[in-house]
Amino acid sequence: MFQFSTTSALLILLGFYGITFLFTLQIGQRQENADSYMVSSGSVGYSMSAASMTATWIWAASFYAAASSGYKYGLSGAIHYGLWGALMILFIYPFGRRFRKLAPDAHTLAEIMHARHGSASQMMLAGSNVVGSIISLMVNFTAAGALVSILSPLTFVQGVMIAGVGVLSYTFWSGFRSSVFTDFGQLIAMVVAAVIIIPVIFFKLGGPELFEVGMVNLTPEQASFYSPTAILEQGAPFFVAVLAYAIGNQTIAQRLFAVREDLIKPSFITATIGYGSIVIGLGMLGLLALLAGVEPIDGDLNNLIPQMAATYLSPVMVGLLFVMIIGSLSSTADSDLSALSSIIMADVYGKQISKNRPNPTTMVWVGRLTMVTATLLGVVFASLKLDILSMLIFVGALWGAIVFPVIASLYWNRVTNQAFTVSVIVAFVMFIIARFQLFEIVGFTALAFEVLATIGAAVVIGLMSFGFFGQRAGLVIGGIFGIALSFYSIGFLRDYIVLLSSLTAYGASALICTVLTLLSKQPPFEFKTIDEKVVEFHSEQPQSMENL
Amino acid sequence: MSSFWLTVYVLIWPVIATGVFLTLCVSLVIDIKAAKKSGKSLV
Repeated sequence: MFQFSTTSALLILLGFYGITFLFTLQIGQRQENADSYMVSSGSVGYSMSAASMTATWIWAASFYAAASSGYKYGLSGAIHYGLWGALMILFIYPFGRRFRKLAPDAHTLAEIMHARHGSASQMMLAGSNVVGSIISLMVNFTAAGALVSILSPLTFVQGVMIAGVGVLSYTFWSGFRSSVFTDFGQLIAMVVAAVIIIPVIFFKLGGPELFEVGMVNLTPEQASFYSPTAILEQGAPFFVAVLAYAIGNQTIAQRLFAVREDLIKPSFITATIGYGSIVIGLGMLGLLALLAGVEPIDGDLNNLIPQMAATYLSPVMVGLLFVMIIGSLSSTADSDLSALSSIIMADVYGKQISKNRPNPTTMVWVGRLTMVTATLLGVVFASLKLDILSMLIFVGALWGAIVFPVIASLYWNRVTNQAFTVSVIVAFVMFIIARFQLFEIVGFTALAFEVLATIGAAVVIGLMSFGFFGQRAGLVIGGIFGIALSFYSIGFLRDYIVLLSSLTAYGASALICTVLTLLSKQPPFEFKTIDEKVVEFHSEQPQSMENL
Repeated sequence: MSSFWLTVYVLIWPVIATGVFLTLCVSLVIDIKAAKKSGKSLV
């Protein structure tokens, strides 16, 4: 199998990060503005926004996991990874417009939740994002280490270190602005590589003839577009996980607050199509590997794409793939660094430490130090070499507990702080119990979890319908779906723990949040005060902020 | 499903990605021109 020499690998990596760093010098300012460091100008144009959304949503796991899914589940495998991931970008934009309408000047979703409910909800969202982003950093650095170690004599740890230092170098000074600016180039590198690599490998493997000779390698389920195993083990858990990721993750919220308000819809539609085409396309490499009878090195499906490239592509093409994957993981890692810095800047330093009286210069340096700390943590944790797909589902499920309470809080004026807080905590505990089977999931326990999970599935479909078609459609479609699903899910979902636990997080949080809200005697919340409270945070320092 | 349609199924994604690529590149040129005209930074 082809490998780069140490010098070639170092030249590619240094070239990639060096050029990216030089690009960011174009936008760097001696005195960076704290607001810009977090969300740019709030009026970023279509091309940058759409590219940044796409590049951020595509991480290294997107390639590895899509190809793994294609290899494991056959014809429908790549679809059950890429299509659902793409649709979630589309799903977020109606809610994104609502977030922007309520708080046009916000930097983080946690900031909005602080205005809506107070510190507890804010810190829950901020805390979950800190954990999620550090896991995401770890996953991306892990992917870098794995790629470097398989395609060059460099070690896994050396690959992790180079990616960590490289991403930090160009994101450190200008924060979110650097992230958005470099995302465009990184996305273009990904698109070009995908457009070239997919057909080249396909025809190297024999083109259309591959289907005639290779279909014998597929089981009947793998040869079907309607494989129940693929839906239950891959499609449905991933669908549920990425929905939570789309709502809960600050990297997405940050881009919602950065894009010009009237461009949210076109940017997100373009990102949906871009993500779907690139990720499903690369997922097809897993299907091609299955058809060609390729066995992944060491039985590890994460090795599939580098292995296919190294076996079937010329060195130049392998270099292209190398850049593509480094680009994808870097664009997500820099977004995670920017997200973490903005959360620590706005939600921890701004609200909790400085008590709404931040020193703007200190605030920017808090963001920069956060980036350094996060990079160090990401690099250290990457050495644990955890399974990428499992981690992805875990992170998504973590946010699953938050989705309903967050959305309900921003549309339903009766949701209380207690309803939000209690529902998220209980739902997360329920998720942990089910996911790690702390109790045996049998008998009445299994039944209770299946009921909650069925409610969770109804909530997912209901929320999606609500986002696009309004309240009545959401309630009706979600209700009908839940009732119909209960005939299949009860007595059945207990065998699919990943899906059961993820849906339980949605179901438990929605149920508890709704019941506590209905029982509350508190007066309705005035949504217009959110904007006033978020602006108040900045307007208390008008002179300082101008001097940024 | 025939080999032809399976081939389409595999190769349609790079074709769509090419469309996105062209859209983004054209839009970038437009955005750069607009940014120069208004004197504002792209980001």
